[in-house]
Amino acid sequence: MDLEFQDIRKSFGPKTVLDGVSFHARSGEALGLLGRNGAGKTTSIRILMGVFPADGGRVLLDGAPIDYGGVSMGYLPEERGLYPKKKIGEQLVYFARLNGMTKSGAAKAVDRWLERLGMAEYRDKRLDTLSKGNQQKIQLITALAHDPDIIILDEPFSGLDPVNAMLLKDVVKEELDRGKTVLFSSHQMSYIEEFCHSIAILRDGRIVLSGALHDIKRDYPRDKLVIRSEQADAIAAAFPDGCVRRASGELLLRLPSPEAKGETMKALAERFDLDELRVFEPSLNDIFVEYAGDQEQGGEKA
Amino acid sequence: MKQFGVILRFELAGYLKNKIFVGVTVFLVLALGLLLFFPRVSALFKDGDDEAADEDRPVMLLDAGGEDEAALLEAFSAAFPDYEVRAGDAARIEAQIADGTAECAFALEGLGSYTYYVDDLSMYDMNTEIADQVLGQMYRLAAMTAEGLAPDQAADILSFRAEHTVEALGADQGQNFFYTYIMIFALYMVILLYGQMVANGVATEKSSRAMELLITSAKPVSMMFGKVIAACLAGLFQLVCVFGAALLFYRLNRAAWGDNMLMGALFDMPPALLGYMLLYFVLGFFLYAFLFGAVGSTATKLEDINTSVMPIMLVFIVGFIVVVFAMSSGTVNSALMRVCSYVPFTSPMAMFTRIAMSTVPWYEIALSALILAASVVGVGVLSARIYRVGVLLYGASPKLRDILRALRRRSLG
Repeated sequence: MDLEFQDIRKSFGPKTVLDGVSFHARSGEALGLLGRNGAGKTTSIRILMGVFPADGGRVLLDGAPIDYGGVSMGYLPEERGLYPKKKIGEQLVYFARLNGMTKSGAAKAVDRWLERLGMAEYRDKRLDTLSKGNQQKIQLITALAHDPDIIILDEPFSGLDPVNAMLLKDVVKEELDRGKTVLFSSHQMSYIEEFCHSIAILRDGRIVLSGALHDIKRDYPRDKLVIRSEQADAIAAAFPDGCVRRASGELLLRLPSPEAKGETMKALAERFDLDELRVFEPSLNDIFVEYAGDQEQGGEKA
Repeated sequence: MKQFGVILRFELAGYLKNKIFVGVTVFLVLALGLLLFFPRVSALFKDGDDEAADEDRPVMLLDAGGEDEAALLEAFSAAFPDYEVRAGDAARIEAQIADGTAECAFALEGLGSYTYYVDDLSMYDMNTEIADQVLGQMYRLAAMTAEGLAPDQAADILSFRAEHTVEALGADQGQNFFYTYIMIFALYMVILLYGQMVANGVATEKSSRAMELLITSAKPVSMMFGKVIAACLAGLFQLVCVFGAALLFYRLNRAAWGDNMLMGALFDMPPALLGYMLLYFVLGFFLYAFLFGAVGSTATKLEDINTSVMPIMLVFIVGFIVVVFAMSSGTVNSALMRVCSYVPFTSPMAMFTRIAMSTVPWYEIALSALILAASVVGVGVLSARIYRVGVLLYGASPKLRDILRALRRRSLG
């Protein structure tokens, strides 16, 4: 299954929320949809799920316009919430049936998932008697019980303790192994790096960076050096422009071009006493801050 | 369509499993049972108590003041069956009333004048009127026999009364006032209560954020209609339970109630009227429930609901007041009521009242029902649109202008 967003546009009144968003997700792979608050992630997800139509562009499934009757989707919204006063089993079956399951099929699936997440004992409890983390697990079941082809998880890890986070990771990996398409939105970059084959970074309704994560990292310009040295102040004085001291105490030196790398490294090693010198490899966090953040050098790189 | 069924069942189960809903219904049915079985139950305990009750009657004293005491005692006993009438002495009357041996007394100074003694004069004390009649009758009888008529002849003449029967060709307002009032009140209560529940239900889904999931799983139109129809069925169920129980209990106890005027007035309604009640209940309910649902979808917090539904409630309450005023003043066909019986927001109550309490030509009923039905469709479509936009608007409660703008955008796009 091949899910593609093609040049999707959407505005609410005078406000343009999505301005030509395109990305691509495949079966068995997770796509990380990243962006700061208000970048257009939720709007993209709602258009994907057919809550409202896009003003322009197309959503394609295996190359053809998506048919909402024929594909099933599971959604874990960022704003969690179910019926607080109703019994857990009842409302899970209700949501599974809304997503097209039969009564008995829904009951079976709900039981299986409650068992899988260790929540079977809460089946007949009211939702508001549960802790926040457990409510979150219940909410996860609403996204998965009807065995959807496309799973959309918006900030799935927020509010989970490490043990539950591990459980969720296992569940997501299982679904990926079963060939599901997973759309992942999170601000916790470590989880994205762990799961996502590819990412798409949204900023002000535009995709500023997208592609396979390892390609992005590989193609990231290798024009920064990380230096650890007792003589950090002297080095900073020697390179007045492009030298930044990081919180860890290391210096980050931006070079005029990646080609200047060898020469500069040699010069540094000759002039100063260095403990460590290496080419800067960005983490996803660094990439995110650079592309989605407000710094001047952000946007133009794309 | 399948989704709609799932939603309808879920919402309906929500009502039927609600402890308050079940409790109120059971309570009402039990209370009606208690009330309507009362004469039969109390009759069981009455046997043998009749004589005791006789002695409990209050005492009325009568000082004949020189007239024929035996005849007066007989006449007063017949005229005051609730009293035990005894001969008294004018000089001791005040003391006897004060110490409680008698409740009231008549001290006559001839047939033409008397003093009535009573401890506390009740607002509803009609004893002097009755005594006036009795004495007048005796005076006339005495006068006629003095003129040479035989006492039997005189009594015949005095007891003459013209006989009359009333044949109401349209509706008898004295007869149908009570059940119309009760039906209108039931209509009013159910629409208001269940309408509010629809608004609250929508707002709860929104404020608990269950809406986030719902809108991605179900069509807004299915959600709206599922909710409104479930509330309508729940309200109808409650009405049928309560009215059905009342009718059943009355039928079972008809003999015990005998020819109690009030009960007759309450239950002897034409069956067609129940049909009209159903028609106007269902249409009126939908009209208001759609509006309540739409308003509920625009609220962000549950607290906002109360202020948002105010305009709807106001229209409804004013309609109710107009109808009840017209009913109690007997002017159900006034110009105002005629207008109200075509305006969709008031016609469920106004037209129903006119049907129940007067004679309305069929084409007027058809026209009113048609306008109402068309409005239900229009309001339903509009509400579903507001709902679709409203459920996604968070933050401060959107102003009417924002909703209209969003609607226009939606219909263009």
